Amino acid sequence: MNEIKTIPIGKLLRADNRQFVAGCRVKELDTPALGALVKVRLQDQSEVYGLITRISISDDGLVRQLASGMSIPPEYAADNRHNRNLPVEIEVLTLGFAQDGKLYHQLPPRPPLSLDALYLCDDAELVRFTGHGKYAYLRHILRLQDMPVEEILVSHLAKARQAHEAAGNHDWYPQACEQLVILLREDYPRLTTVLDALSAME
Amino acid sequence: MTTQNPDNLSSNKNEPIGFISGGGLEANLQVRLTVPAQSVQSGAFVVMDSGYWRFYGLVTDLQLGAIDPQYANQLNIHRFDPALASILNKQTLFTNLAVMPALMLEIGPEPGAPEYSQWRSALSMEPTPMPVKTVPDHHTPVRLADKGDIEDIFGKESKTVFRVGETREQGHAVCLDLEKFVQRSSGIFGTTGSGKSFLARMILAGLIHADKASTLIFDMHNEYGIDSTSSDTGAAVPGLKGKFSSKVRLVGLGADSSFHGRQPDFTLEIAHSDITPDDVLLLAKTLNLTDASGILLDALQTRYRENWFSTFMDMKSGEGAVYTDEDGKQRPTEDSVAAWANEVGAHVGSAEALHRKLRALLSRGYLVKEPASKALDQIINNLQEGRHVVLSFGNYEKDIDYLLVTNLITRKIREAWEKATADFHSKKGNEPRPLVVVVEEAHKLLNREMASQTIFSTIAREMRKYYVTLLIIDQRPSQIYDEVMSQLGTRIAASLGDEDDINAVLSGLPGRGGLRGMLAKLQPKEEVLMLGWGVPMPIPIRSRRYDQFFWDELLGDSNKAKTKEDALRMMGF
Repeated sequence: MNEIKTIPIGKLLRADNRQFVAGCRVKELDTPALGALVKVRLQDQSEVYGLITRISISDDGLVRQLASGMSIPPEYAADNRHNRNLPVEIEVLTLGFAQDGKLYHQLPPRPPLSLDALYLCDDAELVRFTGHGKYAYLRHILRLQDMPVEEILVSHLAKARQAHEAAGNHDWYPQACEQLVILLREDYPRLTTVLDALSAME
Repeated sequence: MTTQNPDNLSSNKNEPIGFISGGGLEANLQVRLTVPAQSVQSGAFVVMDSGYWRFYGLVTDLQLGAIDPQYANQLNIHRFDPALASILNKQTLFTNLAVMPALMLEIGPEPGAPEYSQWRSALSMEPTPMPVKTVPDHHTPVRLADKGDIEDIFGKESKTVFRVGETREQGHAVCLDLEKFVQRSSGIFGTTGSGKSFLARMILAGLIHADKASTLIFDMHNEYGIDSTSSDTGAAVPGLKGKFSSKVRLVGLGADSSFHGRQPDFTLEIAHSDITPDDVLLLAKTLNLTDASGILLDALQTRYRENWFSTFMDMKSGEGAVYTDEDGKQRPTEDSVAAWANEVGAHVGSAEALHRKLRALLSRGYLVKEPASKALDQIINNLQEGRHVVLSFGNYEKDIDYLLVTNLITRKIREAWEKATADFHSKKGNEPRPLVVVVEEAHKLLNREMASQTIFSTIAREMRKYYVTLLIIDQRPSQIYDEVMSQLGTRIAASLGDEDDINAVLSGLPGRGGLRGMLAKLQPKEEVLMLGWGVPMPIPIRSRRYDQFFWDELLGDSNKAKTKEDALRMMGF
């Protein structure tokens, strides 16, 4: 594996084979986005790829005190945001992994470890990962429970489409939609919700 | 069905139109269509290669389907982005074909594969297409039959294999094996204006050209022998006599017959002595005969033998038939009907009524005491020598003429052919020449009531053994006795409107459900459905046109019109 050129956006808090959570500082929060492709490099040089499915900011005792105060000076608020004790949490759904230079749209043999660095994939990597094989990674997204799947899908497809089209591949997006229809056609309400969301994106 | 050498079997180059997704032999096979629905029509002939077998079937229905009916119930294009909607429609809406499997043929491994020669050498005989006994596998690709497939099943056009028309999708020639066709009785059906007469003309031309059987055509409406004019287009329609001058004998009924100036080859007069009581009983309805007539006619024949008719007709009745004897009593004269009735113990009133009714026959000009020539024997001789006879009824177009003459002649033919067959079997003669008797308006002779009395039902049932078969041309097949219909080997049906007629044509055939729909949707004048024993499997086709090109193709260059003007005139311009 080459040296990672992409931007680190956080460090892993916890992980299993299916998903992992990274923490980042509020200062770093302008980089990660819902539906973005991220990766973690493991010690054995394999890489685990995932999709940002949720970004959450939890409260602590101080925030509660501040929020219940009559008025908060702006410097207090800024200080609390930037120097808070708890990090912003980025939840990532595992989509696949790379090992010995080969991509797999399967769950990795082992999850990443805590404090491993989370990197945002650039467009080239997004094209490489999503263009590999026959969209098998979509099944991981569709398996999400209690998540706004269609929103995550739309954010992801919009980013990936842009990257593919910028690289000159205009077939990727229609084929991805076709694959989605095939995967979801037995579930009419869900498919139409996804298609409604995709249509709204056009 | 021809014997196949697998080495010569065609390999279909058509792209698949779909794949097998279910079904069976009882119900039809289900085929998921992968091309636009409009590229396939009901009636399409399809081929499926699965394992070592090639299956042949017929599309009987096309059905629209959806993975979930909700995808079909709204216009997706209005709700979603057009590109997405089109992807969605493609993946959730589809067309299924119902394919009636008809035949299967063992084709073995791919020629050239190592196991091919092994399979080939293990064959005890060349595989022939046989009725389906198993099904192709799931996902077997389905292709429209190409030219080679159709030739494998229906034969290649030749002198005795007659091209009736083309497949509707791709226009490949579909042929009828005339040698097989004449082995059993057959029928051509269609409503008026469906193109039935033109079809019959073409088949007859094919039969005469093939020269495998003689044909006797009872031409009730003077359509087949002489050139005529199309009732629809006003175009000139060439007759068989003009095209096969030396092979066809045009016979006119009655000494005075002539047809638009063309003289018949000879005329037919029937001697009174040729009429039997059965011939007369056949006309019972037309002549309004009573039940007692049968007994009277039998008595007449017993007494006077073959002269019964002329003798009876010579008897007197009415006022001139009585005299007053010495005692002043009124008594019938010796040569009167009453005297004969008294003599045989019959009721005088009935006898006189019969006498009166039979006088109607005397007005038929072709019934004479002493015919000028032995035309009846001449017809039979001509047919036995391999010629073809068109008997034109000329001006005698009444049912009574048609019933009497066809029955009488056919009875003579039956006697002649039965004798010839007996001679052949006892090695005293040559094999009899096969004969096809062509009967128009067949329901008049073969309806439920008449079928038991006329000779024709016997021919349809039994005469195959004696080399005589019927070709029935009719517009109301439902009126024909079902016993007779079920005997018909080959049936060629043009468009039929009536449900009963459609059912009658399909009687006794498997897979009627699908064929019924196909038959009901035939385009008049354009399309016909061939089915029955004489064709390997049912198939709807676009029939050939009966025009100058037909004759050019059939007879070759010698028939070509001399000039362009001639050609145009032939086509009615």
